[in-house]
Amino acid sequence: MDYANKTGGSAQKKKSFAGNKAALIFFLLTVPTLLLYIVFFLLPLGMGAYYSMTDWDGFSLSYRFVGFKNYIDILQDNRFLHSVRFTFLYATIVVVLKLFIALVLAIFLSGKLKLRGFFRSVYFFPAVLSMITVGLIFNQIFYSVFPSIGQALGIDWLSRNILGNKSTAIYGIALTNIWHGIATPMVIFIAGLASVPKDLKEASLIDGATPLQRFFSVTIPFLIPMLTVNLVMAIKGTLTVFDYIVAMTDGGPAFATESMGFLIYKHGMAEMKFGYGTAEAIYVFVMIAIISFIQIKILNRKEAGQL
Amino acid sequence: MRSNKLVQIGSYTFLFIGMLFVLAPLYLTLTIAMKTPQETAESFFALPTRLYFGNFIEVINKANFYTFVTNSVYVTAISILLMLLLIPMVSYAISRNLNKRYYKLLYLLVLSGIFVPFQAIMLPIYRHMSNLKMLNQTGLIIMYVTLSFAQGIFLCVGFLKNVPLELDEASNIDGSGVWRTFISIIYPLMMPIIATVLILNSLWIWNDFQLPLIILNRHPDFWTLPLFIYNFKSEYASNYNLAFAGFFISMLPIIILYGFTQKHIIGGLTEGAIK
Repeated sequence: MDYANKTGGSAQKKKSFAGNKAALIFFLLTVPTLLLYIVFFLLPLGMGAYYSMTDWDGFSLSYRFVGFKNYIDILQDNRFLHSVRFTFLYATIVVVLKLFIALVLAIFLSGKLKLRGFFRSVYFFPAVLSMITVGLIFNQIFYSVFPSIGQALGIDWLSRNILGNKSTAIYGIALTNIWHGIATPMVIFIAGLASVPKDLKEASLIDGATPLQRFFSVTIPFLIPMLTVNLVMAIKGTLTVFDYIVAMTDGGPAFATESMGFLIYKHGMAEMKFGYGTAEAIYVFVMIAIISFIQIKILNRKEAGQL
Repeated sequence: MRSNKLVQIGSYTFLFIGMLFVLAPLYLTLTIAMKTPQETAESFFALPTRLYFGNFIEVINKANFYTFVTNSVYVTAISILLMLLLIPMVSYAISRNLNKRYYKLLYLLVLSGIFVPFQAIMLPIYRHMSNLKMLNQTGLIIMYVTLSFAQGIFLCVGFLKNVPLELDEASNIDGSGVWRTFISIIYPLMMPIIATVLILNSLWIWNDFQLPLIILNRHPDFWTLPLFIYNFKSEYASNYNLAFAGFFISMLPIIILYGFTQKHIIGGLTEGAIK
């Protein structure tokens, strides 16, 4: 509602003064945000779209405009296509396992237990650590601690660093992400479980529903909004994976663990393919925007159905 | 009754085993950090034979550890201060003028930022900040504030929709203008959502690695803790004990903070996600 109009009736004596002045002040409140948003968000976004059509290496004084050449080349670039496959495979592994374990833990942590608060704070703790530190710690653990167990027990596959192998490195990174990332979806599931009304549970108990029946018909409907929120966050987080890669494999061995975000960084900052990297970034942007958009559409429908 | 007891015992067993998985990496970090290389060579898992803080002291002395902590605190605190002023301000203006085209457009424009992953603008931001001579902490702070708008404004406008307009009206009758109303009536009412914005963004900025990597990596004097720990890794790759001491010490501030404010942190993260 318009501030000046709404208050006009009761503040007659100051009407015109308050009206224009109020409108001006409201506008001024938005100015710092608007300026920052244009200069430091929209402008870089536009710059990216422009650079993506050049062959700029990132520091030369001159560069050429090449139109859509980068975009076409990227579609035939095995390194980029591999990074897309890697990222989506990684996202699938992590999202499925993370949300499943988070849900199981949430169910256990919602039971009537004396030490519930204690367990919750322990299980949540990893969420406050930084991805880079967790990545580096697990990197060291994979590099030195696991192999030492493997050697002591004479287990061959455990004696080697799984991050050093092209086909197993992805699981090492996924495991790290799961260890670190379970906490947030877990507390969100706990909030969902707490939102199930008590009388509904009691009613189903009286009706003689088994615990499993009760879970599917009473609890699940209340968990669906939480599941959608967790899916949105987990998918976006894994499709943009970067810190763990830098900390644990640096894209290796032999480019096997290059995620999309990591490849953009490599091309733009280290391999002097700045224009090319920004074009890759635009592809990633479009992919993630479409996925988030679809998810939010579904989320809204689900919530509407809920109410 | 008996089946209830069984459920209890089962739950406790499950949760205790799970807890070991959660705590094992932290146990390893702390114990390896407190051992000498000889002790580590004997066993990674044994407790240290004595309380040995040499590794920590070496990390603190060799690296400019205090500088990095100060940098992290500085960047986080200033960014948060600016966010907690700007976001409620613009959210108030938007929520009270959503019938006007300018405010509606601004709201949609800012919200659409949610769809843009950071990596889409990572390279141009580096270029842009370098052109503006802002590859420093000021540039980093500006980027944090700008990138916090989408989520922060979404949360605050959503909150303000439930703050009745009668409050504005009453305050206006009392002779207060928009600014006075905002500062003395609306802002205090927004405290719950401001706390959520504070917690979400503090954790993000404190732990963020990508933006500092792009903007600050060239000048060691500017490094924040995540950048320090990343660069530290290459320097001490051969000495596990020192490396783990570095990891532990860089986690220490947030561990202490978590100890005191865990309820708020958990609540804040949940609120921010569900809204």
